[in-house]
Amino acid sequence: MKSIIGKVTLCATALLGTMAFAGSAAAQDYPNRPVELIVTFGPGGGADLMGRTMAQLMEESLGVAIPVSNVGGASGNAGLTQLRTNPADGYTIGTLISLTVASWASGLGDNKPEDFRVISVVQSSPSFLFVPTSGPHQTAEALFDFAKANPGAITVATSGYGTQDDVTLKLLSNAGIQMENVPFQAPAERYASPIGGHTSAIYEEPGDVAQFIAAGQLAPVVVFAKERHSEFPDVPTSAELGIDISGLDNYRSIAVAAGTSDEIVAKLEAAVATATASDEWKAFCAKTYTCITPVTGDAAQAMVSDFRDLIAAQLAN
Amino acid sequence: MAPSPVRDQTSRNSTAGGGLTPGMIRLLLMALPVGVFLMALILPGYMFETDQKPTEIGLGPAAWPRAMLLALAIFSALWIAQDIWVLGRAGRTPLLRIPKEDGHYHFGKALVGLVMIVLYGWLLSVLGFAISTAVFIATWCVFGGLRKISVVLPVSVIGTIALLWLFMGLALMPLPRGVGIFGEFSIWLLRAVGIY
Amino acid sequence: MSALELLGGGFLAAFELWAFLTIVTGLLIGVVAGALPGISFVNAMAMALPFTYVMEPTQSMLFLGGIYVGGVFGGSISAILINVPGTPASLPATWDGYPMTKRGEAKRALTIAVTASATGGLVSALMLAFLSAPFASFALKFSQPEFFAATVLGLVSVIAIAKDQPVITMVSLLLGIVVGTVGVDPLYGQARFSFGIPEMESGIRFVVVMIGLFAIGEVVDLLATNRDLRPKKADGKAVGARLKDILYVKGAILRGTGIGCMIGLIPGAGATPGAVIAYGIEKQVSKRGDKFGTGIEEGLAAPEAAKNATTGAAMVPLLTLGIPGSAATAIMLAAMMLQGVNPGPLLFIMDPSMVYTIFAAMIIANVLMIGAGIGVAQMFSTLMRTPPAILAAFIIVLSVIGAYGVRNNIFDVYVCLAFGVLGWGMKRVGFPSAPLVLGVILGPLAERYFLTSLANSRQDWTVFFTRPISATILCLALVFILWSLAPGLKTLFLRRRS
Repeated sequence: MKSIIGKVTLCATALLGTMAFAGSAAAQDYPNRPVELIVTFGPGGGADLMGRTMAQLMEESLGVAIPVSNVGGASGNAGLTQLRTNPADGYTIGTLISLTVASWASGLGDNKPEDFRVISVVQSSPSFLFVPTSGPHQTAEALFDFAKANPGAITVATSGYGTQDDVTLKLLSNAGIQMENVPFQAPAERYASPIGGHTSAIYEEPGDVAQFIAAGQLAPVVVFAKERHSEFPDVPTSAELGIDISGLDNYRSIAVAAGTSDEIVAKLEAAVATATASDEWKAFCAKTYTCITPVTGDAAQAMVSDFRDLIAAQLAN
Repeated sequence: MAPSPVRDQTSRNSTAGGGLTPGMIRLLLMALPVGVFLMALILPGYMFETDQKPTEIGLGPAAWPRAMLLALAIFSALWIAQDIWVLGRAGRTPLLRIPKEDGHYHFGKALVGLVMIVLYGWLLSVLGFAISTAVFIATWCVFGGLRKISVVLPVSVIGTIALLWLFMGLALMPLPRGVGIFGEFSIWLLRAVGIY
Repeated sequence: MSALELLGGGFLAAFELWAFLTIVTGLLIGVVAGALPGISFVNAMAMALPFTYVMEPTQSMLFLGGIYVGGVFGGSISAILINVPGTPASLPATWDGYPMTKRGEAKRALTIAVTASATGGLVSALMLAFLSAPFASFALKFSQPEFFAATVLGLVSVIAIAKDQPVITMVSLLLGIVVGTVGVDPLYGQARFSFGIPEMESGIRFVVVMIGLFAIGEVVDLLATNRDLRPKKADGKAVGARLKDILYVKGAILRGTGIGCMIGLIPGAGATPGAVIAYGIEKQVSKRGDKFGTGIEEGLAAPEAAKNATTGAAMVPLLTLGIPGSAATAIMLAAMMLQGVNPGPLLFIMDPSMVYTIFAAMIIANVLMIGAGIGVAQMFSTLMRTPPAILAAFIIVLSVIGAYGVRNNIFDVYVCLAFGVLGWGMKRVGFPSAPLVLGVILGPLAERYFLTSLANSRQDWTVFFTRPISATILCLALVFILWSLAPGLKTLFLRRRS
């Protein structure tokens, strides 16, 4: 019996020794175990596709597995809270997207831009108004003229009140184009509503409705950006129509908790850069109309905090 | 086809109820709708935490929960009324009827079991999935009447490793690893069994 | 090419060795995962998603489709054997399936359940194969008011199926709806009832509530009563199900299938409301409706058929329109998009062979399910022979993993355990827990359909009654509630007179 206890003690000592060694492992040999990627929404959405594609591509350059875990809830804040409260050792990375940043402006969650260190903003796309091709108004002029003549008669499917969608509609309304905001929480129902003829238009980024554009069910009529979209050169910007609305692009980024060491951030940034330079990524972003030159460092950080302030200012009006 | 002999919901004599007298049980059962009724009246005041300013469009975020709580208040009031109505009549029981158990119900055992389960959930985030699960399975087995260490130990250790391998290894679930030294132990263990 | 020719090609493709093995593997994973208390098929599909990265697009759909079909049935195995529904859709299986097990008729109950499920699934898969185009355009006619009306029908069924007093059922249902309002609201993005806890803003998921109420309460009872889970020796005549038994419930299976096919088309609803509505209608239709809840075969067959009949129907909007209606089909969409395939009308034109291989696979999976279901059920019956203490410990651990796995969040485990304690208490005083779970499922749907309907009609309340389909469904709900309350009202009236 004694010998068993002796052996157990020996094992325990050895074990503690190993653990102490493992514990002292610093940033040099990062990463030496799987890095968890938190997708802040459930499976099947734009953030999920981005996270999963990115995880696959980053695995190659980081040399470890990157399991994806979907932590949905509270407009992405549940996953971010987990990202923030996990140790800032680079073994947890997460998706941070504009929708969640906008939710901070309307008072949701207890996350702040300062809680995170944005590795890289990898996708961004301006939003468009799309109309069903079977509908009566096939151009932005026709749509806006009708809305001016019949305030509130045009219904626009959006993701909710207090979002970028809502802000855009408010800005249009200020310019005399009053359209009814019809929030659909479930994206699938949002896309189905204009196609089924239940709403007159939908506010969305083109990547999310790509298959409906390809099938000729939805057509873009106006883009809310400074310049025309290269993939849709015939679609006018709102500024061309006399209402300058921009800076409300949908972007998606990879972030870690604030306080992660610079070395680890640099390694992750390099891995993301390798991923975004790959052909697979280029094919993916082209398909979702979200290709951008990745924004990193302070610029990325500023992008998040400025966006939050912009939405907050617009909602306060 | 004979009706089920086991759970007879309409049975008037309730056997399960610990050491409580029928009068006390009846009082307890009557307290339930009162509690729900009060809760339904109080909750609307606690709906929002921050001073958010909802959009003026539509009914607002408070309308649906308010309506449901109002309905809840009405139906629990109806329940109370019905209970009071039957109280005055001999031979009638309150609306809720304690289900009859076949055999004796050990209340003490059930309570200890509940405490064990809750403790397990709490320890999960502290000790990590591996340690707390192994300990929980072992404790539960011993408490459930399995006293042979030659059974309990392998079941808890092999079972835990099998679960780890299945869910953390194969299904890539990030189950809690625990904090501090326990987190480091979990990482060591995961490496040892070949998951990391 | 005609649909039949394409489907023939699909069958040839699906019967190729690797494709066939993929379907079988998916099916088995689904049945086992569904049958494990705590692990739902949505859980299993999300976990399986990374494995599809290495597959061909068609193969990944066969794999996930297999898990889906198998998982929707699998939940009934644990519901029938140990009174713990493996997935919410199997809730009705505990009402009439478990009493049969208690009578020593577990095998018969399982055979009826698997036959009914397979029939429902098969009919629905055939509908997917031959009628998806008309059904897709029909589904597009549905908008938020129709969804709201259908959800109301689901809520009404909960009252209709109640064994308990309607008042208590209503209280339980409303409590569930109130629980469902916790967290960020669907339209305004504002957190409700968070009580200052950030995690509460994520809301309370119905799967977590169900695991807590059913699995944990049942396990604690197991401990406290020293009950044995070993299947009872059947008493003489009723061993397995004979053809006669199946034929006896054919009406129930057909009705369940019809209801499931319709409900499955509605996004968001899915298998659980389908099963509940089918149970409620069967209870009214059946001659033995008043005995429902004591192990009546029709009461088991109808919801079983309905829940699997939603599987094919739910894939109609996914494949034809590219619109996933449920969590399960959303995962399928993710798998396709990660492979670079966009489902939708174009898929039928660009790659009909893929679409028809999926159709064929759904048909094959439902036929194979009879074997897989009975095999896995047999395995589980054997598992029941392990000492109850070990079994109970693992059920708890699996429940905790299942609750955690819904959103990989430890807070959900706490919520699950809290509902476990609550569920145990409710069980002890005889307060019904099933309406509460259904309230948590249907409440949030009802709220968002209601509010979006109003937003889309300039806050006009009459929209629910002026749209023909929605008005019809609401009338149906009204008839249903009067019909189900009629016996109760009659006795109340007679009692007053005497």
